[in-house]
Amino acid sequence: MIDLALLLLQEGTTANPTGLGVFRFFAAFTLIITFFISFLGFTYWISKDE
Amino acid sequence: MPIGNLDVPIIGKNVVIAVLVQTHILFAAFIIGAVLIAATSEYLGMVTKQPNYERFARNLARFVVLLFASGAALAITFVLALVTLFPVFFSILQNIFFWVFLVEAFMFLGQIIIVYAWYNIWDKLAYRKSLHVVFGFIAGFFGLMAMTMIDAVASFMLTPAEVTSQSELVARSFLNQTMVPLNMHRFIGNFSYAGFLIAGWGAWRYLRTTQDSEREYYDWMGHFGLIWGFGFLIMQPVIGYGYLKGIRESAPDAFNTIMLGSKAWVFNLLVLWIAVLSIASTAYFVHKLRFTVKPMETLRKLAVGGLGFTALFTVLNIIPVNMDLIPQIGLTPFGGESTTIPLGSMYPWKYIGLIGLMLVGFFVIALYLRATATGFHWGRASRWSQYALMSCAFFVVLTMVTMGYTRETARRVDNNPGYLINDCVTLSQEITPESCPTKPLSEAASE
Repeated sequence: MIDLALLLLQEGTTANPTGLGVFRFFAAFTLIITFFISFLGFTYWISKDE
Repeated sequence: MPIGNLDVPIIGKNVVIAVLVQTHILFAAFIIGAVLIAATSEYLGMVTKQPNYERFARNLARFVVLLFASGAALAITFVLALVTLFPVFFSILQNIFFWVFLVEAFMFLGQIIIVYAWYNIWDKLAYRKSLHVVFGFIAGFFGLMAMTMIDAVASFMLTPAEVTSQSELVARSFLNQTMVPLNMHRFIGNFSYAGFLIAGWGAWRYLRTTQDSEREYYDWMGHFGLIWGFGFLIMQPVIGYGYLKGIRESAPDAFNTIMLGSKAWVFNLLVLWIAVLSIASTAYFVHKLRFTVKPMETLRKLAVGGLGFTALFTVLNIIPVNMDLIPQIGLTPFGGESTTIPLGSMYPWKYIGLIGLMLVGFFVIALYLRATATGFHWGRASRWSQYALMSCAFFVVLTMVTMGYTRETARRVDNNPGYLINDCVTLSQEITPESCPTKPLSEAASE
């Protein structure tokens, strides 16, 4: 568990072919899609009653 | 006191930048494309007197005005994150691109002012429609100019210019080897991306609404969006090829990494998304040709043939060159790199696939536009045709994200080191004078 925490806290890159690299790749993708859909949804919500 | 070497826990600072920029681009590209599509639609409404165009243009303009806040907030947050997490890199960019950033800021300002004015004076200029349409196109122009400025920076990061003296640093860096093809690629891409999203939204509303008049309108919106989306998508193979050719000539290692090397899987993913977009769009066209006002059975049969060829050519593009699929996660079945697939080679099969896809795409959309000229019975589209449009909207987002990742990861040839500015500035913000073609940068490092 401590090893995992240390792994997650270390510096690294998304292109690093390790478990950390793969995790960061999908973390980035999930965040991008989440932000995109949330902001689009919010914009639709504030625009629809006009 | 200068900013220290900060990092972000768990996800790392590279992911912070990637998330902010990719999300910003998803909004920015939509806004540029949507403003120009809306302005064109308003113009078409003025000329044809068909109310759908005007209603669509006005609603889209309102949505863009509201969406601007999200896009702009992400841009500002990105700049803040870049200054904080990569201060040395940012100061290098500022030294070269100060005027470019300044022009971009003013283009951005111009775009905001004109887009807001365009939407706000919609009723006031109702009797001077030509003038009002011009507002929309000027807003689009400002957006395109802002994009052009940032494209100079983005293309420089992958293909830094060969510069030997300080006096030519700014001009040569601005017009670096891949600046023009990248700009063309994104110019066309804006329309395609926004068109597919509009089509997906129209389909969603079509399936949700219960009123006949609304169903007719949203059916039309899906069709109109897809003409933009697919019409511009089929131009991309040639323009994208031009861009890749520029990368191959100026940064061959980067080209090999994303096309043939360890990151070729991102390009395979990309053509997979394009395959879905092409097949779903063509299938929609084939379906829609059943509802022409004047029956056009021959046209429809030709389009069915087009669908078959689209499937054939897109499959040809997907086949990998060997079984070394995703080496980073150990996905190398059946002997990996040693098992080559003859049909997966770039020459001639991928070229045949890409050129074939374009030619069939032009053929199918020409048939569809021919049918559009006589008109459709709106509001009768099947559910699955709308699912095809919604899948286009989903896969075009994946295409954008994959392309962004591809361009950025191309600078990490063997990741030893990975570069922020290819061959010039590493990910740890150190200048590498021996490999950097931009000599004033190297000289600054040695001083």
